[in-house]
Amino acid sequence: MGHFLLHRLLRTFPAVWGVVSVIFIISRLLTQEQVLNHRFGEGETGSHVASPAQRQLAELQIRQRLGLTAPLFYFSAAPPPVAGLALRWQWNGAHNQYHNWLRQLLHADLGVSFRDDQPVVSLLLQSLRYTLPLTIGAALSCLALAWLLTPRLGRKSRGRSLLLTSLYLIDAAPLFVVSLLLLLLLANPEMVALFPAYGLGREDPTATWLVHFQTMAYHLALPMLTLTLASLPALVVQLDAALNHELRADYVLTARAKGLPDALVIRRHVLRNALIPVLALLTELLPSLVAGSVVVEMIFSLPGMGRLLAAAAAAHDYPVLLGGVLTVALVRVWGQVVADWLSFQADPRIRLPL
Amino acid sequence: MRRFLLGIASVLCLVACSPSPSHQSSTIRIRWPRDPENLDPLVAPNSHAVEILNLLHCSLLSIDYNQKEFVPWLVEAMPVVRQRDSLTLVTYQLRSEASWDNGLPVLASDVVFTLKVMNCPGLPNEASRAQYGFIQNIEPDPADERRFTLSFRGRARELVHSSGDYPILPEHQLDPQKHLRRVSLAALRADTVPNKRRQQPDITAFVQRYQRANLNRQPENLAGCGPYRLVDWQTDRYVALQRKANWWGDRVKAAPPQLQAKPAAIDYEIIADEATAVLALRRGDIDIYPMMPAKDFLALRQNKAATQLSFYTADSYEMIAAGFNTRQPELQDARTRQALSYLFDIPGLIQASQQGMAYPSVSLVSPAAGESYHDSLPLLTFNTQRAQDLLRSAGWQQQAQGWTRRVANGTLQHLKPSISYRAGNPAYEAIALQFRTAAAKIGIPVQPRPTEASLFTEHLRTGNVELYLQLLSGNPFTYNFTPILHSQSIGWGNFTGFGTAASDQLIEAIATEGDPKRQAHLLRKFQYLLRQECPLVVLYFLQYRLAATNRLTNLHATGIRPGYEAAAIQSLPAGTIQP
Amino acid sequence: MNHLFTAGTIYRWLALLWLTGLLLVALLVPLFPLPYAPDTTDLTAITAAPFTHPHWLGTDPLGRDLLAGLLFGARTTLLISLPAALLATLLGALVGSIAGFWGNYELRLSLNYTLAALGVLGFCAVVRGPSPVLFSAASAVATGLILLAALTTRFGYHRTFPVPFDKALLGLIALLTSTPLLILVLALAALSTASLSGLLLVLTLTYWPGAARLVRAEVLRIRALPYIESSRVLGLPALRILWHHIRPNYWHTLRATFPLSVATLIGLETTLSFLGVGLPPETASWGRILASVRLAPTAWWLILWPTLAILITTLALRQISAHHRPG
Repeated sequence: MGHFLLHRLLRTFPAVWGVVSVIFIISRLLTQEQVLNHRFGEGETGSHVASPAQRQLAELQIRQRLGLTAPLFYFSAAPPPVAGLALRWQWNGAHNQYHNWLRQLLHADLGVSFRDDQPVVSLLLQSLRYTLPLTIGAALSCLALAWLLTPRLGRKSRGRSLLLTSLYLIDAAPLFVVSLLLLLLLANPEMVALFPAYGLGREDPTATWLVHFQTMAYHLALPMLTLTLASLPALVVQLDAALNHELRADYVLTARAKGLPDALVIRRHVLRNALIPVLALLTELLPSLVAGSVVVEMIFSLPGMGRLLAAAAAAHDYPVLLGGVLTVALVRVWGQVVADWLSFQADPRIRLPL
Repeated sequence: MRRFLLGIASVLCLVACSPSPSHQSSTIRIRWPRDPENLDPLVAPNSHAVEILNLLHCSLLSIDYNQKEFVPWLVEAMPVVRQRDSLTLVTYQLRSEASWDNGLPVLASDVVFTLKVMNCPGLPNEASRAQYGFIQNIEPDPADERRFTLSFRGRARELVHSSGDYPILPEHQLDPQKHLRRVSLAALRADTVPNKRRQQPDITAFVQRYQRANLNRQPENLAGCGPYRLVDWQTDRYVALQRKANWWGDRVKAAPPQLQAKPAAIDYEIIADEATAVLALRRGDIDIYPMMPAKDFLALRQNKAATQLSFYTADSYEMIAAGFNTRQPELQDARTRQALSYLFDIPGLIQASQQGMAYPSVSLVSPAAGESYHDSLPLLTFNTQRAQDLLRSAGWQQQAQGWTRRVANGTLQHLKPSISYRAGNPAYEAIALQFRTAAAKIGIPVQPRPTEASLFTEHLRTGNVELYLQLLSGNPFTYNFTPILHSQSIGWGNFTGFGTAASDQLIEAIATEGDPKRQAHLLRKFQYLLRQECPLVVLYFLQYRLAATNRLTNLHATGIRPGYEAAAIQSLPAGTIQP
Repeated sequence: MNHLFTAGTIYRWLALLWLTGLLLVALLVPLFPLPYAPDTTDLTAITAAPFTHPHWLGTDPLGRDLLAGLLFGARTTLLISLPAALLATLLGALVGSIAGFWGNYELRLSLNYTLAALGVLGFCAVVRGPSPVLFSAASAVATGLILLAALTTRFGYHRTFPVPFDKALLGLIALLTSTPLLILVLALAALSTASLSGLLLVLTLTYWPGAARLVRAEVLRIRALPYIESSRVLGLPALRILWHHIRPNYWHTLRATFPLSVATLIGLETTLSFLGVGLPPETASWGRILASVRLAPTAWWLILWPTLAILITTLALRQISAHHRPG
């Protein structure tokens, strides 16, 4: 099995390279106004503003410093011929933006941010430090809740339809509404101020790890609850459908006839067969573990990955954006491999596509 | 289920006994919506970064928010200005008390160094180079090392202010080997041609040293001569500043306001969401919430439970304006533009998008500007009848398929303008929809075009817009409309494409006029011209709103960003105010 | 039909009633005597509370009437979100089942003809010129290559190669789902302006990978079952196996997720509109009403009405789509 995993994981690299290359080209083809423009006051009527000539020069200098003056790719479109046939492309040589970027990438260097010249790798790691505890905590509690709820799903009861309806309700409300409601209910001095309203408190280098953990847990509890609630409906609805399909199978009847309690039938026998479509869903969960959640991070003011990438996208800070895409894409293709492997574990009859 | 609940309960217990954050009452905590991102004094990409840099560093001149004028900061007095031919010479005298943290005095050589750094190739100084590149030369006084003269071309008044409006950097810290002394400012200024950077070892050595300091993210590596130093900066979380125990400003006798720094510490808390920020203010997690949205401000002010808060407003110099791209054939004549401007229901929009907390103006000059404001021009009214009359006089005819007119070369024009604006801003959307509703009433179909920020800028520059909405900002000190309405700025800041010889001349005259009375006269003439030509209409000026806890005193809301003066704020000791 | 009035059937009738009502509203809403159009701003009534004349369901922070917004929003839902969800699910099911069934090795193409086709494509991609010249040159190349392929086949050189459909699908999914929404949107905005058909395309394109992944996983499981093995041994055509023997086994999973995907797509459409593509700002939609809560967090009616509408629609779709569950 180790062989399979290793083999498949290695084979994901070309896919990731392809994904990131395509996005690199697309993003660099887009307008760069934002990168150049945010440093000049637009629409200022009072103070002295640089003249158009000075600004043009400054833009050129910024482009040059950021490495945006070189041609984009190895070849670019050639001017159309007047008559007859001609090559559509012209060769630019190895001195191009893509080549430089790829060479850096091979040295595990994702470049520096357009905004503050910081290495993208350290920016990503910094954000993951806050995002991973949040998303992994939420995913675990989501799975735990789903595990607890499965026996209730198998039976046709009032409780089940009530549960499903309320899950649909949570799903119909946008995430920011759910987060704001929780915030206004549980962190409001006028209601119940159980949790802090925002942020992660002060960084205290002298504190012990236990105190660190405590402050982190205290500040992350509410965002985690929000994320759990938000991701629960899709999971449970899926599980419910699969369970109901499986419960009609003969082996369930046999198991019940043996006198096994319902919860045991479901957890021991049915769940395993119902898991496969759910595993596909879980692969979607994995990338969002590293991608974070913009809405939750915005509302609770957490410096996570979602916010980093959203800010980078808004400012067209492409190195950071591409670093984020690379991370997410890696986790996504690896998640796919792991899901294939897990579905084999759940049902060994599945042949693994190598 | 029981096990799960037990688990939750234990987590809650763990959480409940976690230490609650303590905070000293002498710290002022201010809410910011976003990170300053980059604190390199040469870059300062946004107003937050500028605010912090102004606490870490000193410039030659500063702004007195109450008097609304420039005042001396690092210098003894406002500079002496002389004219020699086409050159303007500005002589400054540095304060004798001014010193760096290690006791070394701030000298003219530091100013020379700062100018050289701002022009040094290889540093991220493109913006400051474009902004302050007009300063041609600096001559230190050989007799007095605290005295120097700057020279530049042009006579505009704001150039004098601009010449003293950048943080002064310490030469002994950034360039102890005095590399830059061996290169002249003129040589550095000439070194602008891309791809031809001169490989001088002195410049390279200095640039490397500067880059190693990593001032973008670690501004604590550079101790400026400002009253505060940066203690801690966690991206997207907070920036913490601490008052220097031994700041040179304390030694100035009868120190003017700009040389006083009251709070012992200032924390900028970064809270992205507005609703969360309001909650944090109510909980007492922050002390000041500047630039508050009107709806939250009003709701909080009417809330009886929020007794521990005070509320401030100030008329700002920021305005929302609708521009007409005069290069579009349908919008080429002034009458059509005038007609369309009668379709904005300005009082209604002020009520709708700013909850009444904004004020109308006849033109680009704030109504608070006294004589400069053309008060005999009538405010724009919402008048569909007038609009129709003007359209007819511009040659438009209302037909079944809308308003059309035949122009000189025989083509048929349809009046169906689009209105572009930056997507995601509700104020713009309100304006666009109101305009659309009003225009639909008289049979003009209007297409709102919300556009993503970067794409919007590109469309503005290339002239791929018809009507557009834009935020313009002014200030109370100087008037210079060159960037937005001079014909030389077409495609750069002048997106209307407007500009006649007469208007260009008037704009230049306003910028260079030194006498306030004559300038007011020129400004009135300009406002009249704008109303006639109508390349853009000002819809309203914004108000800055600020809510703060009661324990803060000497807090002045200002109409200039950031809307308050952090260093002036004093706080009563905790316990003197009963909530 | 012997238990016409059990609880289950009543729910089903209610669901049908709601969906028919929705359809009728969407079709007939321009004929309704509404006092306000959905895109008209009434600046005298900003964020007005419901149950007052003339805005019976209240207004949003720009002064638009909510009743009109909800009714016209039903039309948008029917024109955009439902078709997009349907298209995305079907596309995902199609692609997912092909990838799951044939995998990387079992779908084989003729090498000769593929090379010929690639040659023609490559020629067009490398060379350019005035279109008549280019067209005639390309036709000549195409004829030559196809003749060559036919000849080599004739003389016994005939090879096939497997199409790695599964790998291609996974790669494509990785590409689509890793692209930040803003980049996708900007790229599209540079190509075209906001329009209904464009929005439908974007929504379908961004949403199909979920269904595809789900179906692929299910097909992987089902095709390993003995009865599929035996039907393959029997030599049944692949399409027949896919349609008659495999599809019924994953259909229930898709049906369960479909109603939820409608709700998700309404949310996605709002995000796109917020970014400046997607729906033009004068088009009413339920998602847009929900988004306006950001401007007035205390206006509960802005959350309640659209959430209710989305919730009831999702539940109704669920009732209808779950129609042959036993009991």
